[in-house]
Order: sequence, then C-alpha cells, then structure tokens
Amino acid sequence: MGADFLEVSLNALKLIFFFLMMVQMVPLLVWLERRGAGFIQDRLGPNRVGPFGLTQLLADAVKFLMKEEFIPQKAVKFLFYGAPIFALIPASLALCAIPFGPKFEIPAFSFWGRHWGPYEFILQGYEVGVGIVFILAAASLAVYSILMAGWGSGNKYSLLGAIRASSQIISYELALGLTIVAVVLIYGTFSLNEMVTLQRGPLSFEFFGKMVTIDFLPNWGIFYQPIGAFLFLAASFAESNRLPFDLPEGEAELVAGFHTEYGGFKMNLFFIGEYGHMIVASALLITFYFGGYELPFLTSQELLAIYQEAFGVGLTSSLLNALTHFAVFMFKIFIVLWIFIHVRWTLPRFRYDQLMELGWKTMLPWALGNLLLTALIYVASKTY
Amino acid sequence: MVEALLFWFLALVTLFGAVAMLLVPNPIYAAMSLVVSMIGISGLFAFLGADFIAGVQVIVYAGAVLVLFVMVLMLFDLKSETQAFSKGLLSRIFKVASVGFLLGGLIGVMVLEFSWILPVFMQSSPQWTMTGVKKMAQLLFTEYMFIFQILGVLLLVVAVGAVALARSRGGTHERA
Repeated sequence: MGADFLEVSLNALKLIFFFLMMVQMVPLLVWLERRGAGFIQDRLGPNRVGPFGLTQLLADAVKFLMKEEFIPQKAVKFLFYGAPIFALIPASLALCAIPFGPKFEIPAFSFWGRHWGPYEFILQGYEVGVGIVFILAAASLAVYSILMAGWGSGNKYSLLGAIRASSQIISYELALGLTIVAVVLIYGTFSLNEMVTLQRGPLSFEFFGKMVTIDFLPNWGIFYQPIGAFLFLAASFAESNRLPFDLPEGEAELVAGFHTEYGGFKMNLFFIGEYGHMIVASALLITFYFGGYELPFLTSQELLAIYQEAFGVGLTSSLLNALTHFAVFMFKIFIVLWIFIHVRWTLPRFRYDQLMELGWKTMLPWALGNLLLTALIYVASKTY
Repeated sequence: MVEALLFWFLALVTLFGAVAMLLVPNPIYAAMSLVVSMIGISGLFAFLGADFIAGVQVIVYAGAVLVLFVMVLMLFDLKSETQAFSKGLLSRIFKVASVGFLLGGLIGVMVLEFSWILPVFMQSSPQWTMTGVKKMAQLLFTEYMFIFQILGVLLLVVAVGAVALARSRGGTHERA
C-alpha cells in the first residue's frame, strides 16, 4: 500500500486509472471494430458524428443510459441485476495485475514543511508474486457472470447460450493453461515483471552447453514457443467469446445467447466485460511472447540512460521512461486487438460440434505435445 | 488490527457460503453458495501467505469443478433425483450418519490434535513464493509421489465411471 499518505493515495489513484483505462478503451475499440468492419467489407462504417465518427460511441452511451429499464417477468431479480456488474470484476482484477511499464522513481523532496521520502512506483495496479496464477484465477470466475445472466433471465435461449459459453470456456481453458505451463517452464517464474525482464536484449540462449546469440532478433518468447503462442492466441479467442468462437450468442440459433433479455446500460456492461477480456488476453500474449513493455532493441535501462543524459537524473527522465514504455505496450496491445477484429470479420462461425472437436481433439493434444517437447528440450539442453 | 478484521471477514464469508449451501433448497443456488465459500477459503490461504495454493484453489474449484456442477444442474431435469435423495427413511439415515461421521472426525482432530497427520506443514510456515512452489513440487514428486499417483488413479476411476454411466442406455435414469 505505501508508507505515507502520498504513496497510499498515488497507489489508489493508479488502481482507479487502470480501471478507467479499461472502460475508456471500450468505445475506442467499438469504433475501431465498426470502422474496421467497414474497411474489410468495402463500406465506410460510422463516420458522421465528430471527426472520423469518433464521438459516435459517446452518442451511443447516452442512448444506452436513456433506455427504458425493464426486467422480464420470469427473471430472478438478484441474478439478473448482479450478472452485468459481476461481468466487470474478473477483467478489471486481472488487468490490474499486468505490468504496463518499468518502475519510476520520485526523488526525495520537501513540501509543506515536511520531507517526503523517495518513492518507487510500478506502472501496474498491484504486484502479485504469483502473477499468472492470480490472473488465471480471476479470469476463471468470468463464467459465473454468464451463468448468472443465463439462469437469471428466465429464458431458454439465454440459458442455452450460457451453458454453451461455460462449456466452451472450460474446454479451452485446458489448452490455455497448458500453453501457460510451457511458458512458466521456460522463464522459471510466475511473476510477469520478471518475464518481461528476461526478454530484454538480443536473442541469446544456452543450447547444449554453447551460448547462441542472434543479434538481429529480440529475445522474445515467441522464438522459444512458436506453437504455444499460436495456441494461446486461438484459445484466447474462445475465452473471450469472439468470432470464430462466438457460439454463445449465435444469433441464428439463440437470438443473442445469454444477454438476450438485457438492454440499455446492463447490456453495455457485458460489452465492457467482453472487451476487457480481450484487452487482458492481448496484454498477456504480449507479456508472454512479445517482450511485454520493452522495446525490441533498446532495453528500458538504456533508454533511461539516454533520457538522463538529456534531462538529467530525476523525476522527468524516470517518468518519461515509464510513459514511453507504457506507450509501447499500448501500441503492441492495439496490434493484437486489431488481429482480433480482423479475424472476426474474416472467419465464419464454427458449428458447435466442430468447436468441441477443435478444443478437445486438436488444441489439447497440441498443447500437451508442446509442453512435452519444451520440457524435453529444456532438460536435454541443460544436461548434455 | 487490519489482519484480524480481514480474517474475520474471510471466515464469515466462508461460513456464510457453507451454511447457505446447506439451507438453500434450490440446488443451483446451493452450488453458487459453495462458490462463495470456496473463494473465502482461497482468501484464507492468501491471508496465510500461501498465494499459489490460493490461486489454484480458485482455478480448480471455483473456476472449473463448480462451474461444471452449476452447468449440469442447469442442464438436467433433477426432479426424480431430488425426490430420491430428499425423502424416505434410508436417505434420512444416510444423511444423519454422514453428518455424524464428519462432525465426529472434525471434533476428533480438534480434540486429539493429530499433528502427526500433517508433519511437514505443521512444523514451519514457508513463504510460498517461487522457491516455496519449487519446494512443494519437489516434496510432491519425491516424498509424496505414491499419494500423488494414487490421487491420479482415483480421478481416472471417477472419469471412467462417468463415461461408463453416460454411455449406458438411459444414463442414470435407467433403473427408475
């Protein structure tokens, strides 16, 4: 939490900032999604309200707030109202545990007749020692909001959609978990911060007693785990219920799945939850396989040294360093999110049996094989 | 002060979930109360510094096992099962006997302090950071290998039994 008043309040502000960042990214992403769909389908998309149609979503949000409040006759009130609120919790808990940038330091200063000691802040909601386990645990609770919505609506389409969603999420969580086990095996740590630190510099590893260094490639996880990265990406599509795995809301069969009965702002909360899961999934993908917040050929310490040469040692250079890496991380996240959007408007939806077959008969064996292969190579290159 | 408050809060959440699970007549709400109880238990683990076990507790029980419970309860029509397990002398005797057995075991452990059951975990409270997780894995795969394997076989038996039941014509309703 912090030693004194300033540190505690800054840490609390940081938490609020990360939550608001997730919520505020949603209108941007929806705009990107609709404009992207227009681009892919050779039409314009929303472009009337504001520059490039950017304030369209503001108008939509106002519309959502003004809509009539209603509850179906057969609904269970507690579950019906609880589900949209609960949809936000897992995504925001998980997002706050992801590192968005390196530490920044505020040197000691005196203000208001008092000395305020040197502080050190991380660009992260809170640091958890067993980072991945915490994030997986938080994310695994997301199913309950869907189940609550499905049962609470008192509608058979909602219920069927919820059951589909939960069975899909559980099935793909297996493949996802196994790819993450392989990642943990390679880095030897659960902490996301340490993983990012380990991916600094050019690609170099110990292979059968020899140090191999490849200067033109960064030391990113994807070069150690190519299959794992692909499986992780595919499984995270299924985890966040996105096309081609959006069976829970297959409109041809289920009207709109678990949120059939929801309208107005309650529907919007489900939306924010879904986009929050996408943001968490892409942030994890980048942290595991694409170097996290680090730039490819310039480590954060080197950049800090450059800034310190220009602006002197102190708050400015440290803060600039942190903000640059934050921008780098956001840039990488947006690239992955663009892949999410592009895939949505490119691939058709799977049939339900195809979905289950892909999950259990293709992805699970591949993830297991990837784990075994990783372990074998790891042991072999360490012992021989 | 803060720690005591946290402990009592978590303990109350855990107990509230457990009691609600027993008292709520609807099986779906009972399963959801059990989820609340599980999250409380995981909070207690985290409170003791066992972060890894806390996370795994949520992932395995709240995130997977109980989701399946809730899903299956929603999917099936459980009227005949509820009747079979709620009425009749036999099931009442069974219920009372199992409650008595569990309560007796609990009181036995409290009174007699079976510290020899938990020799490793009672002696020290290691910080479950990465070294702690490593230590746990080493213990699990060397000293307690046999128990670990037996548990694996037990889970396999359950899985095979479930498949056998599901494949038989009529499933669990065949005898009815």
